[in-house]
Amino acid sequence: MTVKKLTKSDFASLVEDLIRTENVIGVQAKGDRFDFAPLASAADLRLDYDVTLQPPKKYFLPPAEVLLTFEVGGPYQSQLDGQKFILLGVHPYDMIAINQMDELFRQDNCDTHYLTRRNHATIVACDVVRPSGHVFASSMGTAVVKQGYDVLLTDVGDSYVVEAATPKGEQLLARAQNAVPAEPQALKRREDVWARNKKALNHYELKCDPAYLPKVLAKSYKHPVWEEKAKTCFSCGSCNQVCPTCYCFNVQDDVNWDLTTGQRIREWDGCLLDGFTKVAPAHEFRKARADRFRHRLYRKATYVPQKIGGQIACVGCGRCVGACLPDIANPVSIYNRLIDDLGIG
Amino acid sequence: MAKPKIAIFDFACCEGCQLQIVNLEEEILSLLGVADVVEWREAMSEKSDEYDIAIIEGSITRMEDEERIKRIRGCAKVLIALGACAATGGVNKLKNNFEDFEEVKKCVYGKAAGKPHLRTGVTKAVGEVVQVDYCVPGCPIDAKEFTYIVRSLLLGKTPEIPEYPVCVECKANGNPCLWQYDQVCLGPIIRAGCGARCPSSGFRCFGCRGYVDKPNVEAARDVINRYGLSVDDLKTKMVLFGSRQEPTIYE
Repeated sequence: MTVKKLTKSDFASLVEDLIRTENVIGVQAKGDRFDFAPLASAADLRLDYDVTLQPPKKYFLPPAEVLLTFEVGGPYQSQLDGQKFILLGVHPYDMIAINQMDELFRQDNCDTHYLTRRNHATIVACDVVRPSGHVFASSMGTAVVKQGYDVLLTDVGDSYVVEAATPKGEQLLARAQNAVPAEPQALKRREDVWARNKKALNHYELKCDPAYLPKVLAKSYKHPVWEEKAKTCFSCGSCNQVCPTCYCFNVQDDVNWDLTTGQRIREWDGCLLDGFTKVAPAHEFRKARADRFRHRLYRKATYVPQKIGGQIACVGCGRCVGACLPDIANPVSIYNRLIDDLGIG
Repeated sequence: MAKPKIAIFDFACCEGCQLQIVNLEEEILSLLGVADVVEWREAMSEKSDEYDIAIIEGSITRMEDEERIKRIRGCAKVLIALGACAATGGVNKLKNNFEDFEEVKKCVYGKAAGKPHLRTGVTKAVGEVVQVDYCVPGCPIDAKEFTYIVRSLLLGKTPEIPEYPVCVECKANGNPCLWQYDQVCLGPIIRAGCGARCPSSGFRCFGCRGYVDKPNVEAARDVINRYGLSVDDLKTKMVLFGSRQEPTIYE
């Protein structure tokens, strides 16, 4: 592991140099918001962003992708996307979400489509400079990140402390001209940023240690909050679509005009959507809006944690809060309500 | 196996949905490779009463049209409603909001209002007159969705039309919610499948694909209150494509 320091202008030169030879995706302004997009110039990179509209998930699990092409009664070919890319500016909570997805997609039948993209990515994470209006990463213990990235950037004023954590990261950092070893003062400032963010990314405050959430939910299956909130739920799945840890998908076949060759397509799905649990023969086992509404919260804090060593699968990015038109999606307000009613906390 | 026969018919509409099929260009040749198109007024002069799949564009507004669509239904094994006018009544149902059709006619056609071919009654979606097997929603239709549905049917497969609202595709496209930019977007209650084309271009959803199976009226009420709007504010946005979506009462 190498920790260096790079002035902001030297960092911009590094980015320009990377753009010349690599496929670079970075956070940029989109209207008055921000999002990840292919980067054409270092000047477009906005590491001072609050939160992106979409999490970086789409670069590993695209909204729609061809899994394989087939011929009816004949062979099929898996379609893998092995294009190398650099992802610039991933916030710690999003990095932790990617770490969770890595673990989930490696389990059982390991998902080669996801993992191929993941293995071809170089991730440059960056500590948060400007907290978003809905973030609660401090509550979830996801305000800083210690692993998963190839490079971690921390803004310490006029320069970045740049840590290379993997061989890929070392390679990238080797291209940084004028990088100097980070002196103790710079490292201290990085510690200060971490200490600040551990408290400051907390627009909503969860009333318990997230580790207790499975216990809270274990006693809340029949709580009235599910019915109350779901009353004004459009079942639009916006909360699912912007979530960095939602990974449910649907798989459909489409044939070409010869009616014998075709492709199997995977698309994002969402547990809030009407029809999400429809199975053959048109049976639907989670029909009620309230049941689907409850399922998302249980999935984040009970079902998925059981698969990944107890980690809560909500990283506190707050995107669902901002994306929910009737404003019912905020996990903190729901969990806090349950905590209050159970008399714990 | 003989190629299935397809016939395309139009009723009260602008023919824009058929135009989407014409615009498929080289894909039309692929379609003709697997099916015989035996009647299609907009693109050919032949006619036929023998077809397996009838594709119907437009809504039903005259008694003689009711007879005609019933005849077509009798000939077809599968009937597809093509586009908003056929699937939900679409823009044509605006008329049903008025009581005096003579006044409406004068307003629209002026001096020509008395002409015999303009003698029309209430607007009905095709499904209000005959049984519809599949709908291709939208104004106009999405050509990709249309070809997917046709291919599915040729394979004997049920095509999957989204039950969920436009927000799904809008968010997947990485758009911020247009409500946050003062637009009364109908996305949360309108059926997806268009790829959220309008909101992705900065325009609110006008609702051309019709409502989802279970639109949440409570939620809509809550949101208009939250945004300081009245029920009428929302209704004026819904009227264009969403007028009188309940079955039309026969006179």
